[in-house]
Parts: sequence; structure tokens; C-alpha cells
Amino acid sequence: MYRHFFIASFILFMASGLVFWQQNRSPKPVGITPTITGQVEYCLTCHADLPEISQSHPVETFGCVLCHGGEPLALTADLAHSTLRGGANPSDLSVVEASCGGEMCHSGTPQVNRDHIQRVTTSLQATYAGAVAQVRYAFSAEPDLTARMGIYAIDGLAAFDPTAESSPALQAFGSNCLSCHLSAQPLEAEEYNRWSGCSACHSPAPREDGTLVHKLTTSMPYTQCNACHNRGNYSLSDMQFHPREDAPTDRLHDFYQPIAEFTRCEWTLDCEDCHTRQEAMGDGHIYSSKKDIQYVRCRTCHGTLDSLPLTYTITDENDLALRLDFLNPVVDLKLGDTILMTDKGEPLWNIRVIPGEEGTVPTYELFSKATGERFTFKPVMGSTCQQKPDQQEARYCHECHATQR
Amino acid sequence: MRPSFYNHLHPPTIPAAQARLRYTLGAGGLAVFLTLVVGLTGILVTFYYTPTPEQAAKSVQELTFLVPFGWLMRNLHYWSAQLLILAAVLHLLRVVFTGAYLPPRRLNYLLGLSLLVICLFMDFSGYVLRWDEGVHWALVAGTNLVRAIPWVGEGLYSALVGGNQIGAVTLIRFYAWHLFGLTIILIIIGIWHIFRVRRDGGIAVPPPEIRSDQARIPRKVLARREGLAMLWAAVVLISLAILVPAPLAPGIQEGAASVSESLAPWFFLWVQQLLRLGDPFICGVLIPLGALLIVALVPYITPQRLSSTELGRWFPRGGRNVQILVAILGGMIILLTLLALFHH
Repeated sequence: MYRHFFIASFILFMASGLVFWQQNRSPKPVGITPTITGQVEYCLTCHADLPEISQSHPVETFGCVLCHGGEPLALTADLAHSTLRGGANPSDLSVVEASCGGEMCHSGTPQVNRDHIQRVTTSLQATYAGAVAQVRYAFSAEPDLTARMGIYAIDGLAAFDPTAESSPALQAFGSNCLSCHLSAQPLEAEEYNRWSGCSACHSPAPREDGTLVHKLTTSMPYTQCNACHNRGNYSLSDMQFHPREDAPTDRLHDFYQPIAEFTRCEWTLDCEDCHTRQEAMGDGHIYSSKKDIQYVRCRTCHGTLDSLPLTYTITDENDLALRLDFLNPVVDLKLGDTILMTDKGEPLWNIRVIPGEEGTVPTYELFSKATGERFTFKPVMGSTCQQKPDQQEARYCHECHATQR
Repeated sequence: MRPSFYNHLHPPTIPAAQARLRYTLGAGGLAVFLTLVVGLTGILVTFYYTPTPEQAAKSVQELTFLVPFGWLMRNLHYWSAQLLILAAVLHLLRVVFTGAYLPPRRLNYLLGLSLLVICLFMDFSGYVLRWDEGVHWALVAGTNLVRAIPWVGEGLYSALVGGNQIGAVTLIRFYAWHLFGLTIILIIIGIWHIFRVRRDGGIAVPPPEIRSDQARIPRKVLARREGLAMLWAAVVLISLAILVPAPLAPGIQEGAASVSESLAPWFFLWVQQLLRLGDPFICGVLIPLGALLIVALVPYITPQRLSSTELGRWFPRGGRNVQILVAILGGMIILLTLLALFHH
């Protein structure tokens, strides 16, 4: 009898030891209480080594749960991650409103430049409405090139359903050619690697070894756009994607390959130096072709023989240009600086009239958004350029200024 | 001998046959021990639990992750509760299969059966208090089952849920049932049940004249055996508490549709499987009540065939009828439970 007591007590003692061991093993909770939510969250217990995602989303203000979802009090991975929005990517378009939305965040009013989600979800890159319209028109499913369908239904567009199409070509289009819109999962290969949603552009793609980069940025080199825009060509004749076969070794040949000729600035600068926010993210309206939303021309920066490029002087401390410069400080913009502006009033905040060199024909300085490199240039006015006033498309400038690849 | 509470509960000697583990399986005593553990750990976790829909699941997570040894108290509470159901069922089966329901033990049999029913409701009400996605479906389905009862269904549902839909009031009512309503009834009937054991002459064995084994054991030996059993039970409980944590899930979001798995708690899986067969009232209320009634009537089904000479051993011939009946019923419940698991 006593032997049994001894054994049972010993095992109970060991079990109690295990209890203390288990308690010590539990991670010491590391909590933060973000100022926006006021609710404590313990994500940093395990994720303390994550870098700040961006200077505009400091963790002391936002925390983690506001954007990512998840269980703020849980210290086991399964429970903590069980209610994550969009898995590792809360900016996926299916959950972007809950993660990035809000009047003070990214689904506010255009007047305060906070309507990103409305613009992106109606943009061509998200709806793919242009490609769908073109292909359906090509195979007689539509009477004209007006956009009627998108990847998802929004704002007058119906959802494109390849299985409901009668033409086998359109069904093949649905199977083979829909891997490059913002909701699509990319093709399986290193060169196509990217996120979906906002992060498709604003976050670096997962690394080769599979680890992720916790970053939101507005400084995107052309390689960021390459994942979709520079991988090859679609062919309507066999409804296949044909990956590019060259192995470029320099930037000129690695750069955007559909165009055979570039001017020097077109392959020296990055895509985002010319393609403005409205061009990339839309302006909230449904368009049928990218030609309708892309409007920046050579003359936007260089002007014409008769007119200088549009500019304005920053007088408001809440000016969008100053906010954009804060996000990507390649320029030391301040009140009183004169910067370039597009026809639609978008600030080209990284291009400035060089202070002190105003004059009749000013000199401008451009700071690359991706690298910060500084370039200076003079406008067309006062130069020996041979252009005609009504011939302002790129192909005319290319006749003299382009490099053949 | 001083009439102390301990001495009152433990007679100076008892027949050795009553204390044999292979006879009683120690199931009744185990149930008492588990009730004490579940009650004590329940009091401890009450200090950290908040019975509002927004805070309930959060407070459970706080207890689990942030309170030192909170995880232990919650897991002990969970495991002692589930093992209590198993111990109570085992004890019921032991009583039936050893014929220990004969007079004068008929009332005690019914008291014990009602204790099992109360424990099942305590387990369910405690389950609901988690107010997370793991219990969401069971909460909705379980309360809707009450509604299916003709005539009184709507009224009962209203009383149970505190309105015409599940909300903050429902949580408070389940909290009140779990902490007070059911607990008080459990304590009263539990004490009565244990009192009746003594009043009815202890654990059922043949009367002294015909008893083959006349050995008796003193209360010291009985106490030692009880102590040893408690030690082993504690070892099992703590091991389970460390190795298999109690379930946790994200809290129920107000207004959002239920995203939980549609699985009943394990002790009601057989009812869930029954519900797949047809009308909720018949399959979900009448049939389970019918099963309960059959079990309750065991002492009244051909009791004359079983004599007290056959007591003290398993599967006495005179009790064959009820043994087969209960075995079939138990087998069906187990089968339904397994089907429900595989169906899922």
C-alpha cells in the first residue's frame, strides 16, 4: 500500500514539475497598445524582429491587428493567425476594405486624396476590363470595345465568366490568360513572383528562399512592375502566354520589352517616375483601355516649343506633394518650392524647378523615385528641337531621340 | 468515537467486498473527486471570466495566455468536467450491470441519473460560455431544438435565451445557470445521493447471512485507498492538462454569420446524428428523452428476477433483461456518436 502511495506521489510530483516547466516555457508576453485602437495586442511576443513596415504606418500608432486582423491576445500561432485577413497579405482585394479602408485611411474622399481603394478596385489593373473587352470583341462576343465585364462585378461591369462563354477561344482565354490582374495568383516561377492587391506594387515580392519582406513602399524600381508587365506576350492566335526568351544582361535590354525603341529617359528612369498615381491606380472611373487613362506625354515634363511644362508652387503644408515626399524622401521638398504638374493637376513631386535657376527658360532637377539619383534637364522651349506643335506623341520624339535595341 | 464529518462519511469498518476495485471500478468515488476539482477550478477561473459577448472569448484567452497558470486552471476545469461525464456514465453502467438498483436503492438510482443529466447540462452551459466560433453552431442548434417542442417550445426558448434571439442576455442566463442554478441543484442532489448510499447500507453487496466473503476493512484502509485513487486521478488530470489544451477559438463576432464548424460537443454528438434522421422534435427531443426514460425505468423492469443473493458481482443472471437493454442502448449511442464523427 505504501509503495503505491510512494509511486503515485512521485509521479504526481513529476507532473507538477512539468506544470512549472510548461509555465516557464510559455513565451513572456510582449504587448503594445497602439494609439489608434487602444486595445493591447501581443503579436510582438513572437514577431519582435519584424521591421517597421513603413514610416507612415508606425507600429506604436497602428499596431498589427488593425491592418492584419488576427487574435490580439493569443500566444499560440494557430489561434493568433486564425482570423488573419487575407493570410499573409491583408491588402488582397477581397479583404482590402477591412484592412486598408476607412475615411482617415485609404477609402476616404478624393478631396483629401484618400480614395485609393475606390480607385484601385475600378482600375484596369484590377478589373482587367480592357483586356476582357478587347478579346471578347475579337471573338464576336461584344459589338464594340466598350468595357462591359471585369474579373469581378463592379460599378456597371459584370463578372467575366469563361465557363459561360460559347466560344472555345474565350474559354481558353479564361484558362490561360488571366494571371496578371491584381486579384490573380501569379504563375509559378521566380520571375512572376508578386503579391496580390495593393502589395502587388507596394510590397517587395517574397524572396527566392520563401521568406517574406515586411514593407510598404512608394519607391518601386522597374523590376517591381516586371512581374506582370515584362514577362512575355500573349498571343490571340493560339490563346497562350509566350514567356520572353531572351536573357538580358543590361538595363536597356531588361527594361520593358514590348517597346523596341526608347529615349534615354525612358529606360534610365523607372516606371513610376512617369506613370502617375492616377495612371497606375485609376481615377475611380471604369475605362475600356489603358489608352484612356494613360495621359502623361514627353511634353508633360519637357513642354513644347511654345510652352513650358506646367508647374505650381507649394504653399499648403498639407499639400499632396509634401506627403508623397515624406513617404519617399528623395527630394528635400519644402513650402515655396515649385514643382512640375500634369495636365490633370497631379503633382510630379520629384521634379522641381532648380531654385535660383528660374529665368525665362528654367532648369529642372529630377530625383529618381527608386534610387534618388539626380538628373537635370532643360525644357524644349529655347532649344533646337524640330518638333511640330501637333505631333506630340512619343513616336515623333522617338524619331530623333530613341535608342534602337 | 467523536461524531466528526469525516467519521460520519466513513464508517468504522465496511465489508471488504464493497471496496474491491474490480467490483466498483471506483467510478462513483472518482466522480466525487472530479466534482470537487471541477468546482474548485471553476471558482478560480470565475475570477477572470467576463460574461459579455464582446469580452467572453477575450477573457478566456487572457486567462489562458496571460495569467500565470491560468492555462492550467482552465485545462483542469475542462478535463475534470469531461472525465466527470465519463466517470458518471461508467458508474451508471456499473450500477446497472451489477444489479445495484434493487430496493432500497431505487430512489438513489434515480437521484444518480438526475445527477448525470445535470452534469450534461453543466457541461453544455460551460461550453457555451466560451462564446467563440467553436461553440457558435452548437449554441444556435441546441437552443433551436428547444423551440421545436410543441406548445411550450417558444416559451421555453424565450426563457432559456432571454428573448427571441441569442445575444448578451443569453450569455448572462447561461452564466447564471452554470455558476448558480445548476450548481445548487447539483450540490443538493449530490449530497442527498451520497447520504442515501450510507442510508441504504453502503455499496451494494449480498446481505451478511449469505455473503461468502466476510472480511471487513477499517476506515483507515478505506481512506488510504481513496487517497491513492485521488493521487492517480490527479496525475491523469494534470497530464491531460499539460498535453491536451482545452479548445480555443476566435470570439463570435456580433452580426457576422456563423463561421464555426457544425459539430456538437462530444457528449451530444449522438443527438446531432439523430437530428439528421428527421423531425427535430421527435429525433432531437423525444428519442433522447425516451432513452433517458428507459434508463430511469431499469429498477422497475422485471426486478423480481434478481435477488439480493446475486449482488456484489458483475452481470448477475437475474438482471439479464436490463443488462441487454442497457447494452443495446449504450451501443446505439456509441454508434451514433461514431457516425456523427465520420459524417463530419
